Amino acid sequence: MRKLSIGAALVAAAIAVPLSIGSSHREAPNIALDPTADNTDTYAFTAKDAPGSLTVVANWIPGEVPANGPNFFRFDDRARYYIHIDNDGDGREDVSYRFVFNSRVNPDSYLQAFPGVSSIDDPKLYQAQTYDIIRETHKANGKEKEKRIANNLPAAPSYAGPKTFPNYGNVAVGAIRNLKSGGKVFAGQRDDPFFVDLGAIFDAANLRAGTGNQGEGKDDLSGMSTHSIVLQVPESKVTKNHRAVSGPDADNAVVGVWSTTERKKIEVTNADFDSNKKSKGKWVQVSRLGNPLVNEVVIPAGKKDKFNRTRPHNDAANYGQYVVEPELAKILNALYDIHAPETDRTDIVQALLQGLPGLNQQTDDPLPVDTLKLNLGVPPAETENRFGVIGGDNAGFPNGRRLGDDVVDIELQVVAGILKGNAVPLGDGVDQNDKPFFDVFPYLPGPDSGFDSDPSSRTEPPHDPVPAGGGS
Amino acid sequence: MTAPAPKRLLWLLAPVAAFAATLALLTAVQGGGGAAPSLSSVDADIDAARVQGASIAELQETLRDDPSNVAAYTALGASYLQRARETSDPAYYSRAEQAFDAARRLSPTDADAVIGLGTLALARHDFSRGLELGLEAEPLAPESPRPLAVLADAQIELGRYADAARTLDRMVALKPNLTSYARISYFRELHGDLTGAAKAMALAVSAGSGSLENVAYVQTLLGNLELQRGHVAAARAAYRQALAGLPTYLPADAGLARIDASAGRTAAAIERYRGVVARRPLPEYAIALAEAELAGGRDRAARSDLGLVRAEAQLLRAAGVNVDVEISLFEADHGDPAEAIRLGERALAAAPSVRSEDALGWALTRSGDPAAGLEHARRALRLGSADPSFLYHAGVAARESGHDALGRMWLERALEHRVALSPYHAQRAEEALR
Repeated sequence: MRKLSIGAALVAAAIAVPLSIGSSHREAPNIALDPTADNTDTYAFTAKDAPGSLTVVANWIPGEVPANGPNFFRFDDRARYYIHIDNDGDGREDVSYRFVFNSRVNPDSYLQAFPGVSSIDDPKLYQAQTYDIIRETHKANGKEKEKRIANNLPAAPSYAGPKTFPNYGNVAVGAIRNLKSGGKVFAGQRDDPFFVDLGAIFDAANLRAGTGNQGEGKDDLSGMSTHSIVLQVPESKVTKNHRAVSGPDADNAVVGVWSTTERKKIEVTNADFDSNKKSKGKWVQVSRLGNPLVNEVVIPAGKKDKFNRTRPHNDAANYGQYVVEPELAKILNALYDIHAPETDRTDIVQALLQGLPGLNQQTDDPLPVDTLKLNLGVPPAETENRFGVIGGDNAGFPNGRRLGDDVVDIELQVVAGILKGNAVPLGDGVDQNDKPFFDVFPYLPGPDSGFDSDPSSRTEPPHDPVPAGGGS
Repeated sequence: MTAPAPKRLLWLLAPVAAFAATLALLTAVQGGGGAAPSLSSVDADIDAARVQGASIAELQETLRDDPSNVAAYTALGASYLQRARETSDPAYYSRAEQAFDAARRLSPTDADAVIGLGTLALARHDFSRGLELGLEAEPLAPESPRPLAVLADAQIELGRYADAARTLDRMVALKPNLTSYARISYFRELHGDLTGAAKAMALAVSAGSGSLENVAYVQTLLGNLELQRGHVAAARAAYRQALAGLPTYLPADAGLARIDASAGRTAAAIERYRGVVARRPLPEYAIALAEAELAGGRDRAARSDLGLVRAEAQLLRAAGVNVDVEISLFEADHGDPAEAIRLGERALAAAPSVRSEDALGWALTRSGDPAAGLEHARRALRLGSADPSFLYHAGVAARESGHDALGRMWLERALEHRVALSPYHAQRAEEALR
């Protein structure tokens, strides 16, 4: 059976805390998995069809299974969704794009739509979301100013099925909008571009066969969807000198990118209690995501909430120790005897937090911060290598992150020590997404329909280990 | 995320734990010198990842293979609590307790085990124990909102409202989401701020959850608040939303029955309540059904349904659930006032909350001591509650003890919110006003 149990809904069912039986006494759930505020992935790259622009893909809501009616997935109207850019390397946002959503529901119907929706503004679409974009510019001491750069843009609805949406692609294309100030934006449901074999990666068969990176993995996220914001803006909107980037060595070339979600801290009572006055009406960051898998690989279980609350400029102080001596290296050695260095891993600190010298460091003495650092001056690769920089393709992860970068394999191999000369063909056996990406905006393929409640699945064909000849 | 995040590599690493264990075993069996490295914190992470989303059967299997998997025990305990809620079979409480106890024996400082036991204590209405366990869990999971949820619930039910306010303030500062918004809503409701309560609950609904049941729960509570505010259409919409997401969600069905009952559609209300009681014969639903029948003049059916209440209460008590407040009110309304006083006194001694004050006050009033009843009714209203049931009880106590104007004011306020009262009690409140 496919491991759909990883879906957040089922996880929540297992750990949600129940109400009491037979009582008027009130017990709200204790643990609410919070999918609408859960950043799952962030991508930052220069798209081949948009040189001179920064393209960011930020995803929320993990594990959307297609058949989810009648409560279809949506962004939370009361949350703030952010894409942040740090253009001077201090780990603080200099330019932020804030997305706020507004749902419109037809009060006379519990259906998402009347069958036959043909466009994004079709009145047959009963449940629709629109959003505004506010562009904030910050100084180190806080917010400088903000400007609403878009109003009432339509978000692509969840794909209920072909009866509701005879041509879902047409409807979704209608959600691509140009920004007056330059660039494009899309928000709504998409295929989850992450790919990973959750179950079989360290399966006994793979262990016998080697350390994994030779195909035959099953993509456990194939057929799953997510909610994406895709933003493409001219480089001049995000660089520190407000200019386009002239080349990879330009002083303004490297930007740090991450995404966050905020919810409002409300007062316990409307009357004055002795609550902290300073926090009145404050927005609280409840999730963040820069580099992939950092919260999973690097941050210990007890610190994950804290990680989601804290900001990149404090990362070195808060979490530096976990990066320098990653437990994953010890596990890999225990399992495979691959001689991964277990201490003093400044190479990992560089790859994930500081940037690689001569490629994507923001300053000469870079601060370790969990942002995706992208050198905008590096032209997109004609043919992408899924291993990115460690595969000789400097336009990919950890120089930013492209949709096709195989970050599971890259991070396993980096932890094994490939940047220190210890090349081991570790991997999960899945090399690419189940659906091909588009060459054009918004790059992400569409979601599977809710009508096909059994999502597609994809197994990687076998191939020789990559990199060849390394490891045990 | 509040729970260990079900994100990427944790899942990916999940099977590693099994291999690490195997490796350690092999090393031991073969007498090899190279001991497996100390991976305790990683093991804990991996254990947590392995059990996420697993079914009860899968967790039991995991525990057969690896009886020292603390995370599997705590997940199993939480799953049993979930089953208790889905089936209304309180026998799952003792299974949950065994699982959490096993986890705590293996790892006395495991936060999930302590939080689980705390939640269980609260579900059984042992609020003092809930408070102890909440306090015990707090240092085990610092900077986490989860122990604070246990603590806040216990403080509210023990009548420690100022403490609860501080706890909730800390909780929502750490994590504004469904769990903290829903609790703040209740706190505001207790203080009579129905508008603020509805606003906070709307935030909880909007934030949502990975669990359909959690969403249906807050939608239903929003419906109850709208009903108290007299917004019947909004209440109906909220209940229907809950049922659209989870068609078997009985509390929302019961909400629709309340609307029918208060609108005088007695037959429809009875039919709907009957469906709820047939699937889940809990005291509160059996009482609501019986009171709808009494209001509709079907006294014989009502007597039989009221008979269910004591039997169900016995079942719940046998599973360790304290139902003193609920049954005290039931005995005062439909049974033995002396028993009502006994239960009310015991409830107030265990948990000096406004709910307990209301129950004991009503028991005293119904047993012919409205002056003593009024004392407790005043304390039940000390936060400024707009609960029409509290107001009705207070109004009757005041009228019967000679405080006519005061009684009239309370009864009129109770009847302003009459859609949230059962018609049976609304009729009695009207009679008391005459």
